[in-house]
Parts: sequence; structure tokens; C-alpha cells
Amino acid sequence: MLLTLFLVMSLSFWIIRLMPKSIFENPEVSPEIQRLLEAEMHLDKPMVVQYYYFLKGIVLHGDFGTSVKVRPGMDVFRIISTRIPPTVMLNVLALLVSMPLGFILGTIAALRRNKPTDVVMSFLIVLFISIPSFVFASALQYFLTFKIPIFPTLYDSTALTLGAKLNSLVLPITALALGPIATIARYLRGELIETLSSEYLLLARTKGLTRAQATVRHALRNSLVPIANTIIPMITGIIGGSLVVERMYSIPGMGGQLVDSILAGDHFLTVALLIFYSAISLITILIVDVSYGIIDPRIRIGGRQ
Amino acid sequence: MIYDKDKLPIEIRNLPDEDFALVASDNIKDEKLHTKPIGFYKDALVRLSKNRVTMFSFGVIVLVILLALIVPSLTGYTYTEQNVSRKNLPPKIQGLEKLGIADGTRLLVNRKKDSLTDANRYPEGSVIEITREFDANGVAMVDVVIDYYKYSNVPDGTYYWLGTDYLGRDLCTRLFWGARISLLIAFFSVILNVIIGVIYGSIAGYYGGNVDYVLTHFAEILDGLPYIVVTILFMILLGSGMLSIILALTVTGWIGTSRLIRAQFYRFKGREYVLAARTLGVPDRQLIFRHILPNTIGPLITRAMIAIPGAIFSESFLAYIGLGIKPPSPSIGVLLSNGQSVLLQYPYQTIAPAVLISVLMISFNLFANGLRDALDPTRRGEE
Repeated sequence: MLLTLFLVMSLSFWIIRLMPKSIFENPEVSPEIQRLLEAEMHLDKPMVVQYYYFLKGIVLHGDFGTSVKVRPGMDVFRIISTRIPPTVMLNVLALLVSMPLGFILGTIAALRRNKPTDVVMSFLIVLFISIPSFVFASALQYFLTFKIPIFPTLYDSTALTLGAKLNSLVLPITALALGPIATIARYLRGELIETLSSEYLLLARTKGLTRAQATVRHALRNSLVPIANTIIPMITGIIGGSLVVERMYSIPGMGGQLVDSILAGDHFLTVALLIFYSAISLITILIVDVSYGIIDPRIRIGGRQ
Repeated sequence: MIYDKDKLPIEIRNLPDEDFALVASDNIKDEKLHTKPIGFYKDALVRLSKNRVTMFSFGVIVLVILLALIVPSLTGYTYTEQNVSRKNLPPKIQGLEKLGIADGTRLLVNRKKDSLTDANRYPEGSVIEITREFDANGVAMVDVVIDYYKYSNVPDGTYYWLGTDYLGRDLCTRLFWGARISLLIAFFSVILNVIIGVIYGSIAGYYGGNVDYVLTHFAEILDGLPYIVVTILFMILLGSGMLSIILALTVTGWIGTSRLIRAQFYRFKGREYVLAARTLGVPDRQLIFRHILPNTIGPLITRAMIAIPGAIFSESFLAYIGLGIKPPSPSIGVLLSNGQSVLLQYPYQTIAPAVLISVLMISFNLFANGLRDALDPTRRGEE
């Protein structure tokens, strides 16, 4: 994991630095000042030395450099630190909402296999998996805030209570969660249908468990391991979607900042944001990896028998 | 010879050959095959064509491709043609306009009632219906449905099937031109991914050992990098444009394919027929491409089909964060993000691309699912 983070840092450093243009290229700034600025940030030294300063700054001081264009002169880390909580909240909530709902819907579909409920749900699942989250975000924004004003159009960052804040997050979370819900439901349905016809489930029924008990205690747990595999790509999907959805709902998170910094060409900020995005997704993946062991005692890290 | 003739008793050894005859050699009772033998791919094709959902989605894909090829030359506009006096016109379609849909009308709210008589602002015949009259601080206000084409002084007989955007460009032309570009990006990036993945996976899987170890670990490390981060970085490096998008989608896109191919090679390279071919002196290259690779075509096609909607999605995603295709070329993603910024005022600018991308993604997903079922060898022979 640390290796990956290091790779992201190095890759972003080299890619950004190897671009021909000077970071400070700006017709309004005189070449003299540009040179001074470059000297201050070690940009006049050879690449390898710059690379050393870059890594040293991040690792030892948490110093990601200074914003040049979006908010000139401001420390990049300070800009980002206020942007992390909304993004993390949005992503984590979307993931937390989608998992139980996906489980419930998938179980229902499997138990009602080939009945009308299942057919309708299969159709909806295909729909939700296919349609991109930003299309949902647009549709929800148009119909539920403009045509029928139930929810606020934009994220309310000044909201005092947590309730009001969450209320303005309902739509973005829904837009992000629909796809994952459908993905989980689809895989769980497939897995459960297989498990439900297995012999140990028959045994569970013969020893006197009800259908519900047998499904929840025996079948569901066994179906969870393959599902955990789908969760990692899902997380990447949610994070990608949140980049766009954040901007649509004006959530002051990292997504909007990333877009701004890319458009403005503020490379220090872009690099720092990308590193933080990598960190967030890597941490989530780590959590999922650890949870394998909880779901299935046979998979335990360490590999001892 | 299953017995040693010399060890047999002498009287049996000397029996004349004429005394022997084959039993029932002329009337073998086996029934003749009435049906033609059917190969794997033919079987898959038969099953594919029986699946109505799959065939329907295939039809939709073909239809969209045809529309993307034909429509831009039918509308009479080009995708770059700007006309600022005709900006943000709502959709208007011949024939449908009499039914009240796509008739080029728009509801304007909170207008001063007095100004309705002003022929400069509201040309004759442009006001169709006043839906609400109210009083705001002593000024008579109205909500009014107007013929937006007459309102913008566009001559009669002008039709924009899907309306125009903020620069007065025809959205219909742009939408299908954009579909063309999005599909091209999707197809080419997937093809590139498949080619790289096949070569990489074949080498890793066929040679095994240290080669496999190094190649697999390199791919693992690359795969650990978050997809979005890598794509964005490469887009920054390469700059906007169609080729850059295709390349950026390829940086980590091939890893899945190579993993699949490698696993298939491990499954097949130990088989007897491969051993036989090798004994006959078939070179490695031929063994890889002619003898082992064809086994993996089924899963490969399925994977490629599943990757196409993913590529379309990624393209739109990049367009949203400002790293898409170079203007003025449209793509579905560019149109969506442009439409999104004026969603509440001109929803029709978002609806058309949103519907098109959704239809495309659904069809590709359904078709890929059907293809997977048809090419699944365990389901062979099932109806």
C-alpha cells in the first residue's frame, strides 16, 4: 500500500514536471520574478534534486507545496484539509447506504426467483448498473428539486444541524448509491440462487430452521465472500462518480477543487489532490481486505493454518 | 497382433483363412446422423439468436451506430456551425409539432404584461398562450408560452430536431457526431487494451517461471494505482484530444485482459494436444497464437463487450472534469456536461445526450450478458 502511494507520488511528480511549460508561466508576471519564484521552490535545480525535495517535503513535513493559480500563495495542504471531510462523508455514506440495501434487495430477488418481483427487479438492476451516476444526478436534480421541490438543489454547507446537512446530501448520495446497490443485488442474487439449492441448506431446513433463518444464517454468509470481491471496483466507481457529482451539487469537496486545479493548471494542487484520492481509495480497500477475515474465518491474514 | 501365433496349438494354427468370416460386417445397425455436426461457435450463435433480449439490444446498438453515421448529414447543419441569434432554441420536429410535442415552444415566467405588445421583443404570432396572470408590486406580470422560433426571429420552416445550444449549434447533429466520437473512442481503446492484454498475458502465461513472475508483479503494481488518478494524470500529460483519451484509457485498462489470458494459458498449456504439437516441432509463436489462444476467444469477446460501456462512461467522466475531447468536437460526455450547466433553464439540452448514453450503456451491457451466456461452454446444448 505504501509502495502504491509512493508510486502515485513519483508518477505524478515526473509527469507534471516533464511537461515543457513552466509552472509559473503567466504573461503578467515578469521573467525576473518567475525566476525568483522558481528558485524559492527549488525549480531551478536538476530534476532529481527537485524530486528529492518533493518527497522530503511530503514525508517529513506534510508539505505539498504552494498553490500557484487557484488560490495563489496558499499552502496546498491547508486548502485540501478543509475539502476532505465533505468528500469522505459523501463517499462513505454512499457506500454504507448501498451495502445493506443491495443485500436486502438481492436476497428478496433470490428468494422470489423467476416470480414477477424478481423479473421487475432484474430489469431495474440492469437499468441502474448501466446508467452513469452523473446522469442520475442530473435527473434527480431536475425532477426532485426543480419540478417537485422536495430537496434542496445544492449542498448546504452553512447548515447548522447535521439533519439539514444530510438533507441536502440525500440526492447526491442516492445518485452515487444506485449503481452499487444494483451491482451488489445482482451478484448476491446469483450467489444465493446457487447456495439455496445446496445440500447444507437442506440440512439446515431439516434440522428445523425456518426458511428465513436458514437463509440469513447459512446461505447469506457463504455468499458474502464473492460479493466482497465486487466491492473494491465499486469503491473506485463511487469515488470517480463523486468527483462529478460533487461539482453538480456544489459540494465543497476535493472533486470540485480537482476540476478547478486541472482547468487552471495549478499542478501542485492537482498532484496533492491525486495523492489524497489515492490514499482514500487505498484505505477503503484495506478496510475491505481486512473484513474478508471477519466474513469468512478461513481467510485470515498471515496465512497460518 | 494381440497374440503370439507361434504359441497356439498346431491344429488351430493351420486353419485355412477361408473358414473365417466377419460377423455382421454388412449390416451394422448404427443409426445414421440426421443432423449436421455443429461447432462451438455455431452453437453459440444459435443460442445467441434465440435470446430475444440480446438480439434486441444488438439491434439497438446497430441502430445507434447507423444513426451516428447517417444523421449528421441529414440535418443540414454541421457540428461546428454557430449562429448566435439562434441560441438555445427548443426542439422542433416536422409532423410532431402539430401534436404539441417538440413544437418549439417555451414557457417564460415572470414577464411584464405590457411588454407583450412590444413587437420588437415579441414578434407577431410568437405569443401562444398566457398561463398565469399575477400582480407583483403593482406591476402586471404574466407567465407566457411563446413560440421560441418566432421569438428569436428564426424564419418559418426552420427545424432543429433537438434544439440548439448556447452558441446556436444544432444539437441533433452534435449529438450523433458525438456518439460517433464516443463510440470510436470506446472501440479503439478496447481494441488496444485487448491487443496489449493478449500479448502480455500470453507471454506471461505461456513461458511461466521467472518471466511470469516479473510480468505479473509489474501488472499488479500498476493495477494498484487508482484508475481515476492514473487516467487523469495521463490526460494532463497528453493534453486533450481523441488519441489522448484512447491512450489514457489504455494505461491500466489492459491488465484485466492480460490476467484472463494468463489464466487461460495456464489451463491449456499442459494439455496433450499442445504437447503433441510441440513434439512435432511447432515454434512457440505458432503454439501461442494458433493452438492455445483460440481457446480463450469466448471469454475475450465477452470481456471486450463489457469493457465498451465502461470506456464510454470514462470518456464522459473525463469530459465532465474538463479533460475531454478538444472543442469544438462534441462527444456524448461533452454534450452532457454542457447541458448540465444549464439544466434548470434548458433541460432538453441534457435529456437527449442522457437518454442516448443510457440507451447505449444498457444495450451494451445486455448484449454482453447474452454473449457471455452463449459463449459459456458449460451451457452448451441447452436450449
